[in-house]
Amino acid sequence: MMQTSLTVLHCQVVEEEVALSLAELCRACDAERELVLQLVEHGVIEPQGSAPQAWVFTGASLRRTRVALRLLRDLELNLPGAALAVELLDEIARLQRQLQGAVEVSRRS
Amino acid sequence: MEFKDYYQTLGVARDASADDIKHAYRRLARKYHPDLNKDAAAEARFKEVGEAYEVLKDPEKRAAYDDVGKRWQPGAEQPPPGWDSGYEFRGGEDAFAGAGGFGGGHSDFFEALFGRARAQARHRAPPRAQDHHAKVMIGLVDAYRGASRSIRLQVPTLDAQGQVLLSERTLDVAIPAGVREGQHLRLAGQGAPGFDGAPAGDLYLEIAFAPHPLYRVEGRDVVLDLPVAPWEAALGADIDVPLPDASVQLSVPAGSGQGRKLRLKGKGIPGKTPGDLYVVLQIAVPPPANDLQRQAWRELARLQPFNPRAEMGAK
Repeated sequence: MMQTSLTVLHCQVVEEEVALSLAELCRACDAERELVLQLVEHGVIEPQGSAPQAWVFTGASLRRTRVALRLLRDLELNLPGAALAVELLDEIARLQRQLQGAVEVSRRS
Repeated sequence: MEFKDYYQTLGVARDASADDIKHAYRRLARKYHPDLNKDAAAEARFKEVGEAYEVLKDPEKRAAYDDVGKRWQPGAEQPPPGWDSGYEFRGGEDAFAGAGGFGGGHSDFFEALFGRARAQARHRAPPRAQDHHAKVMIGLVDAYRGASRSIRLQVPTLDAQGQVLLSERTLDVAIPAGVREGQHLRLAGQGAPGFDGAPAGDLYLEIAFAPHPLYRVEGRDVVLDLPVAPWEAALGADIDVPLPDASVQLSVPAGSGQGRKLRLKGKGIPGKTPGDLYVVLQIAVPPPANDLQRQAWRELARLQPFNPRAEMGAK
């Protein structure tokens, strides 16, 4: 097995420091442009900007896109189904955080 | 190498129809998908289910697998000779799993049967340099202080004959302080090499936190259950609290009850908007060990009548 080693000096936190163009998002998720356009159409990710050439996605779009693509592929869902699942997963995560807070407040009283 | 019973994995009969197999897969995939099921064992189970489906959904692979199953010797190290003659596999689009999924990961059994065929199915180089993804596990302290990690990546590359070779690369990555669970780090130009002068792809590292025995992490915030003695909670006390990267003195207010949540502002995961650290008081009661101590508790009970079940209407 070949081995190489090198030092990386710089990395960026995608969710905080990176905005992605449509082409970058497609490449980062290994997804066809057409599929990403459909994810936008179904509201899974919401770019800023008027036309696809000018679209800018937040770093958080990377995770949502990858989750949606995995669900599409692994669960053989259609796009509206995957969009709904991504929405519900985020809602579950939000409620779990809220529940955690509520449990701690009630333990205090 | 152990023979893998893909029918058992999917919970279907050996003569199951293609529809039965599809339904069984979809049901199990929904149950164990790592995006839907956060249980640690779910991911491994999902991979098994996916591998079983990959074989059984494809009529040719299924036929070859059935044939191998009939001739498999218990304890055999490899499939019986000539098992694959007469079958032509069409692998293809998922030959380089790992670029987008949960890191490829077929079993040795699968690789022995279908691995070679799968690799050879891909003759051409990718049309553009791909971005790669990997996960990196860090400790909570690393998120506070930043850390450097050596990350070993196994990268499939194609040689001049189109054969797949695994090469290993080691990257020393400086993980910035303030990174949170589930975030991604982008390492520009560290993905797949570009061909014909095209720029290399990027490498994305998804951050996972190793579970910590003391702290729970919720986004930017960190929660610590802090045991206190009954008299510390009742009378108030200044207590040294261990933080992930330091320790502070915390004033527990007098009259604190079980589960009281105290906030240490800005002591969560650092960043532009640093998180908070929550200390949740857990009152620990020492069992009295001698008559003098029992007497002291009785005296307290006499001097401070208290019904902790008053709200329940019980005495």
